[in-house]
Amino acid sequence: MTRATDIAAAVRSGSVTALGVVEHCLEGLEREAGPLVAVTRILAERARADARLVDAALSMGRDPGPLAGVPFGVKDLFDVEGLPTTAGSGLYADAPPAPDDAEAIRRLRGAGAILVATLNMDEFAYGFATISARHGTTRNPHDLARLAGGSSGGSASAVAAGLLPFSLGSDTNGSIRVPASLCGLYGLKPTHDDLPMGGVFPFAQSFDDVGPFTTSMADMALIWEVLSGRSAVEDDGSGALRVARLGGRFRDNADPDQIAAMDAIAPDAPMIELPDIARARSAAFLITASEGGILHREALSRDAMAFDPATRDRLIAGALLPQALYETAQAFRARFKAAILDLIADYDVLLAPATPCVAPLVDDPRIMIDGVMTPARADLGIHTQPISFTGLPALSVPLRRPGQLPLGLQLIGKPGGEPALFRFAAMLEDRGITGVSSADFSAKIGIQGEYQ
Amino acid sequence: MKKGNVAAMLGILKPFRSLDPFLIMLIATVAAASLLPARGMAADWTDIAADAAIALLFFMHGAKLSRQAILQSVGHWRLHGLVFSSTYILFPIAGLATVMVAGGWINPLLLSGLLFLTLLPSTVQSSIAFTAMAGGNVAAAVTSASLSNLFGILLTPLLVSLFMQAGGNGAISTWDSVGGIVLQLLVPFIGGHLLRPWIGGFIERNKKILGPVDRASILLVVYSAFSAAVINGIWNRVGVVDLAELLLLSGLILAFIMGANVLAARVAGLSREDSIVLLFCGSKKSLVSGVPMAGALFAPAQVGLVVLPLMIFHQLQLFVCAALAGRFRREAEERARLAAAAASTVVPRSEDEIAEAAKAAGMEVPEACIPGVVANLGLLDRHAKALLGPNGHPKA
Repeated sequence: MTRATDIAAAVRSGSVTALGVVEHCLEGLEREAGPLVAVTRILAERARADARLVDAALSMGRDPGPLAGVPFGVKDLFDVEGLPTTAGSGLYADAPPAPDDAEAIRRLRGAGAILVATLNMDEFAYGFATISARHGTTRNPHDLARLAGGSSGGSASAVAAGLLPFSLGSDTNGSIRVPASLCGLYGLKPTHDDLPMGGVFPFAQSFDDVGPFTTSMADMALIWEVLSGRSAVEDDGSGALRVARLGGRFRDNADPDQIAAMDAIAPDAPMIELPDIARARSAAFLITASEGGILHREALSRDAMAFDPATRDRLIAGALLPQALYETAQAFRARFKAAILDLIADYDVLLAPATPCVAPLVDDPRIMIDGVMTPARADLGIHTQPISFTGLPALSVPLRRPGQLPLGLQLIGKPGGEPALFRFAAMLEDRGITGVSSADFSAKIGIQGEYQ
Repeated sequence: MKKGNVAAMLGILKPFRSLDPFLIMLIATVAAASLLPARGMAADWTDIAADAAIALLFFMHGAKLSRQAILQSVGHWRLHGLVFSSTYILFPIAGLATVMVAGGWINPLLLSGLLFLTLLPSTVQSSIAFTAMAGGNVAAAVTSASLSNLFGILLTPLLVSLFMQAGGNGAISTWDSVGGIVLQLLVPFIGGHLLRPWIGGFIERNKKILGPVDRASILLVVYSAFSAAVINGIWNRVGVVDLAELLLLSGLILAFIMGANVLAARVAGLSREDSIVLLFCGSKKSLVSGVPMAGALFAPAQVGLVVLPLMIFHQLQLFVCAALAGRFRREAEERARLAAAAASTVVPRSEDEIAEAAKAAGMEVPEACIPGVVANLGLLDRHAKALLGPNGHPKA
């Protein structure tokens, strides 16, 4: 598994060429991506052209940027110049091509990164499972019989399999943090509205954000710097971080390993119970359903049967929710957010599970919530959704547990508190508590890959 | 008779089911006067009875007029001004224009009747009833229609003397006789109104008993008028073509007035409720006031022909206004339903509720999606209940 920072260093030092890295990456995608059902389009020509530009810049003595020659992929809802933005739906397969790249892609490209692929997702990002009627169900590279999570499942799966050093996804209610947890990666949902949303197909605008999947905290910090244009180091980063653990419903629906890890990380940290957390999740559910439904109402009226059946019925149901209920949920959100900000005022990092369990089986996509088996597609975000509701930044970090299925924790910060989260996560990584475990994906599909 | 024949007959009768029952009685009275007109002494007694009936009618109008109703809507003078203008300016203009255009090719007395109806006050009962049915401003309609009738006592005879003399139709000879006739209408009217504090309650309480008295008085006036008209050979002078022409001209006048009122309401920026008042009060002409006024204002031999256009116009306005009021009511109900739905936090669950919510959202839910949508709304309903809590409101 090669880190983005290592690739960029190698390209910038001249020990490898960007074109060489890209060819290697394309070869890996062509050869191994199939079983994952993670990749929807390989952008070989564009990637080679971009790689030549990076190499040309280097040959002329110019620095192509901190991500020089690093291949990456994006969820299928980012605008890519010259291609239709499908948002995972057959409905937009023949949409007019996007005139420009999404702003996030432009910034990464400006730093030398090279877009090589678009990646699978739940249709219109509505789900936590990446079960796509158009492309198929994305598989978890740690166990192909299991879900990768969603809705940015393709973005997580391709990186966890080692086919890409990093990728971009979007997170409305947990669509980065859930697949990051299930695939064993770092995944960031930034402070709401902080990272550039230009050219990103919306889902529920009250909560939509974009963020990266990476295999290390060094990569995460670097990519966040490129995307945000700010330093990932705190102005005064020497003080001890004040940590609290989230209790109540977060601990009631968690894997014992997650609870043990949180207690080991901060044994003396106070246990905070967020009030009305179930109600917050319900309000988030309703706002998402309503905004998603209204966004697609016109297309549903025009041609409902062209939608993925499971997404279609959810979107129609959302479009039929009473406006007064939506407004009630938004009013509750404002009060809840204010109350939570008060409650966490004395802490820099809150610890919580990212998902309630390891990746569910593709053939039985259900999980246990409050002692009842429920659909994974709707409920894997039980711990992420209430956090999105507040707009706080949340970083999913993978517990280091080689040989076992991945599980993640959420590190939740204050608004704009990403640098504190990065410092804390880097410390956990250094202590060996978190870290990406190899999926041994190539071995699983019987290939000895040099890129691994 | 075979079943099919009965059905066919019922089919033929179908259009008559929506006829105003009072109009049927009027037609029956006209038919009775045509077949058995009052002659000689009987005619004299009928005329005296008709005069007494006219006085009684205006006495009752006066007693029924509520000053409180007029005072209640003092803030709506713009609306009342528009209704007044429609009744006493726009209508007469339409009537005079019709006389100018149609003069020469239609019976002059029928044309006089057409002009006469355009000079009449608005109806009270049906204006209010249709306004209420359409979801309009009922209080303003009560005031407008009442004011219209109050002014009509003076204005209609004056307008008749002004325009119908000018038009050469010679209904009234001199201003002195106008004064006499005004007194004939006005004195009982004012008498009734002054006695209202004592008899108003009695009249209100005994509407059901006094209603027939009202109607019977009008029928008596019509019988008297048509008896004289028949003896003067009305049916030799008026044919089916004349009646068809009257219907056509009435339709044109009504369409012009209604169109103008809709436009005026829009230009004046009236609310929907007030626009309905203008449309219904401003486009009506009163049969109840018109027949006795014609009896008082015109020579007995002319009254039959003069009120014939009014009877036709009256039925036409009832048809049109009933249809419009029904449509406005449905629209108002739909709006109220949508407003109630928008204010509700109840998640639609049944197929009927889903169909209604879809309609409100401007969508159609395909049949194949119903089971999936029902299941998803079930999930959303659980979240709604979790959000709202047992009291239906999330706690702060």
